[in-house]
Amino acid sequence: MPGMNSGLNPADPTLVAAFRSALLHQGLIATALFLLLWLLWGASRNWLRPGAAVHAPRAAEPAGRRVLRIGFGLLWVFDGILQAQPQMPGGLPSQVIEPTAQSSPRWVQDLVNAGGTIWSNHPITAAAASVWIQVGIGLWLLVAVRGWWSRGAGLASVAWGLMVWIWGESFGGIFAPGLSWLTGAPGAVLLYCVAGALIALPARAWLTARTGRLLLAGAGLFFIGMAVLQAWPGRGYWQGRSGSLSAMVASMAQTSQPRALSSLVAAFGSFDTAHGFAVNLFVVIALAAIGAALLTGRPRLVRVAVLAAGVLCLADWVLVQDFGFFGGLGTDPNSMIPTILLLAAGYLALTRLPDAAAEPEAAAQAEAEAVTPAPGGRWRELLRPEGARAALTATSMQTVTALAALGVIVIGAAPMAAASLSPTADPILAQAIAGYSPPLDSPASPFRLTDQDGRMVTLASLRGKVVLLTFLDPVCTTDCPLIAQEFKATAAMLGAQAKQTELVAIVANPTYYSTQFTQAFDRQEGLSAVPDWLYLTGTLTQLRSAWQQYGVTVENLPAGAMSAHNDLAFVIDRAGVIRQEIDADPGPGTTSTRSSFAVLFAADVRQALSQS
Amino acid sequence: MTARARHPWRNWRWLMMAASVTGTSVLAGCAGGGSGAGAAPAPAGTASLVTSMTTANGATWAIVAMGGSAAGANQFWELFARAAASDRWELVTPPGVASNGGLVAAGGPASLSVAFRPSQGLTFSPLAVTSDAGKTWRTGLIDAPVASDPDALAAGAGAMLALLGDGTVEQGGTAGASWTRLAAPGAIASSAAGRQCNVTSLTAVAFAPSGTPLAAASCARPGITGIFARSGTAWQAVGPVLAARQVTVLRLTAIAAGDLALLQARAGSGATLLAAWTSDGTRWTVSAPLAVGTGQVAASGTGSGGAAWVLLADGRAYEVSGPGSAWRRLPSPPSGTAALAAGPGDAYEALAVASGKLTVYRLSPAGAWGKLQTLSVPIQYGSSS
Repeated sequence: MPGMNSGLNPADPTLVAAFRSALLHQGLIATALFLLLWLLWGASRNWLRPGAAVHAPRAAEPAGRRVLRIGFGLLWVFDGILQAQPQMPGGLPSQVIEPTAQSSPRWVQDLVNAGGTIWSNHPITAAAASVWIQVGIGLWLLVAVRGWWSRGAGLASVAWGLMVWIWGESFGGIFAPGLSWLTGAPGAVLLYCVAGALIALPARAWLTARTGRLLLAGAGLFFIGMAVLQAWPGRGYWQGRSGSLSAMVASMAQTSQPRALSSLVAAFGSFDTAHGFAVNLFVVIALAAIGAALLTGRPRLVRVAVLAAGVLCLADWVLVQDFGFFGGLGTDPNSMIPTILLLAAGYLALTRLPDAAAEPEAAAQAEAEAVTPAPGGRWRELLRPEGARAALTATSMQTVTALAALGVIVIGAAPMAAASLSPTADPILAQAIAGYSPPLDSPASPFRLTDQDGRMVTLASLRGKVVLLTFLDPVCTTDCPLIAQEFKATAAMLGAQAKQTELVAIVANPTYYSTQFTQAFDRQEGLSAVPDWLYLTGTLTQLRSAWQQYGVTVENLPAGAMSAHNDLAFVIDRAGVIRQEIDADPGPGTTSTRSSFAVLFAADVRQALSQS
Repeated sequence: MTARARHPWRNWRWLMMAASVTGTSVLAGCAGGGSGAGAAPAPAGTASLVTSMTTANGATWAIVAMGGSAAGANQFWELFARAAASDRWELVTPPGVASNGGLVAAGGPASLSVAFRPSQGLTFSPLAVTSDAGKTWRTGLIDAPVASDPDALAAGAGAMLALLGDGTVEQGGTAGASWTRLAAPGAIASSAAGRQCNVTSLTAVAFAPSGTPLAAASCARPGITGIFARSGTAWQAVGPVLAARQVTVLRLTAIAAGDLALLQARAGSGATLLAAWTSDGTRWTVSAPLAVGTGQVAASGTGSGGAAWVLLADGRAYEVSGPGSAWRRLPSPPSGTAALAAGPGDAYEALAVASGKLTVYRLSPAGAWGKLQTLSVPIQYGSSS
């Protein structure tokens, strides 16, 4: 999947340090935002008439909705914390997104690849955004109890959840083979979306048992559907040895986790290997029975079904899903806890209606009072001192905290939105590969060589331009074509400044060094059309001299290996002084790292242009 | 309040359940068929690049793949040489280019030319030419990838032929200079001779003893052997006729007394191999067929005097000593044998490969393989990744 993976080691210290730094900075801004808003809210109390900040009595939040709001609020916060794992910037595309997408159809892969490429190009921004967006949504859900603020949190949960479901979970794997409720179908985050949609319902929807009944009926249909899927022959779930479930459990047991847990998971794996048919039969019957019971809508049966589903979910969460977040880069506790929360909310919505249900008019009135401010109706009033004062009077501490939570989301989302508009990768990837290049101030060694068109070129003849110099083997199969593409992209990024720049490569091969090869290399890499591109060569003596003066070691290796040389790039200013020496090893040479190197080179060239 | 009013969805319950079951069944049908796709058919009539040849000066050359996994760019193609009067093989892989994509060699009157099949970021084929048994190399290039066929390169007196990956046939000077196109992709297939043969792919190029460029192909039409000679700007069919068989020219290479073709003829589910010799590029002497069943040719090569050998994937090895002779089965070569090579006299040698070690065995007149030499090849693992 091109673009999906930056190819860098997720534990790369440069990436990890940059991620920590970004989280720290954005965390400080978030903290300051909370403090500022609380301070302003506190100060506004003095501005209001004494005793004015008295809120009208409000109807209690329906129990089912409260379970969803608090439960999924906590889950989002927990997921946000998981997103803060140090290896997340470099590891999410390669360890989470790509493996999930690989078994999906081509169109899913293409769609996911587009999102994964944005992440790979901007790993720090994207990873930090995921942290703050999820923590922000979680806090928002937790503190916004009622009214538009609370419903907005539900909508935010749906919006972000859909993004994660599509690009992070490849639609929960529903288009991939082996789909099973046991392993998390239809994707945990889709359940977050369902919960968010329920939270976003108007308050009146929770005043009758209809919402609970529909939720449970939907869950019932889902369970029955999953039972059919589980029972479907030929999908590997009926066989124990080499079966789909035992293979998955075995792989989960291998991940790093507490020993007791891995033993438990491994033990279940062994049991399933020995009794795969019986295990699957039990699961199919249990899912179908729970589904049928939920569909009846009879409270007594539903209670039993919800309890049974809870037990089954917990067992699956521990024994099959391995808590969802152990080992690798877990990003959420998988689907079982959300399932339990949804079923519990459905049961409560069916059986425990709010007191206000008896007086719907009072409840509606309470909801209307809780609107702060009502969308689209009172903005004009807010412009008048009385209106503003009234609005502030109605603003609670919870509303202010919800506003701050929304700010936390913006802290993560705004840089990510800006970054996603950029077609180039962040330079952090190149910095992670090349390391730090200290500024230099040493005269560049002269050379006298021949360009690809047979013209003589000396370093002195390039005075007045900034020279980006490197050494390339024209018959190289790996690094040199990548570096050439980085130079080509650098020229494009420099735009008008490219006219003040000369991109120069000197041949680094002691056997294949004639202009025949530099010309072939230029054609191969599309460099012939790049203005101010010079690929220089000369006699072997001239080349050896240039290699020596610039510290480039070139040697032929035996047994079919390509000629070896170190990858260096130099930024030489207009006066012929070396300003930067960059380790130009292109690393994994992915789309992201190539773009990142070009950004780095372009920045160094611009710096040299500005200095001289 | 009636029950109907309390449960407005009740009437739909069973319908919804049926819809759920149906929908999930469709999902299972879609999502469960990952392993059911049929495998793509193997490309027909392609010969491995593993080969050996004896050139006019009596030197014997062998090309084998060594090292580790090709997927990990740790498989390197190596060229070994044994001088005419020597018992010792030497590693003579031309330096300066990664050989991961494969090597294609052509023996000329006084030289050996080697084209590198490009791999990874390289898209053209560097050339190396030696006239001193691999001690020194001159360089050249073909500005496109040479085809993955052991006879995609041919060297004649003062000229070279190259078959490119896209089916182009080019002619150049020695050391790969001044290439000109002899046939554009599809040109031979669309010629009158090509249409008669129903060319599916070109497989080899060679020079006829007269210096006329030859091109070989795989033909879909039974009975036609796809060997074409350049005549002016046209191509004429010059191959032997093999009745009622689909023929692929696996090899077409110059030998001291003309050209040698190795033909694979398919009839029913089985295949036969035939060797065909020509001394003038038009009249052919064809060997008796060798039935190989479903055996795939893993390697093939030539020796002196029009001799040829094949090594099948199941380990069987055969040789034919020259025009008019019959195929002879050789004793099973030692484990790991990648290629055979004509040894001194009528002896054959087996080149067995294990990672970075090449072991050479020689077949004794008594029919036993005896170890002759072991070479440690300094494979540069990781150098191409």
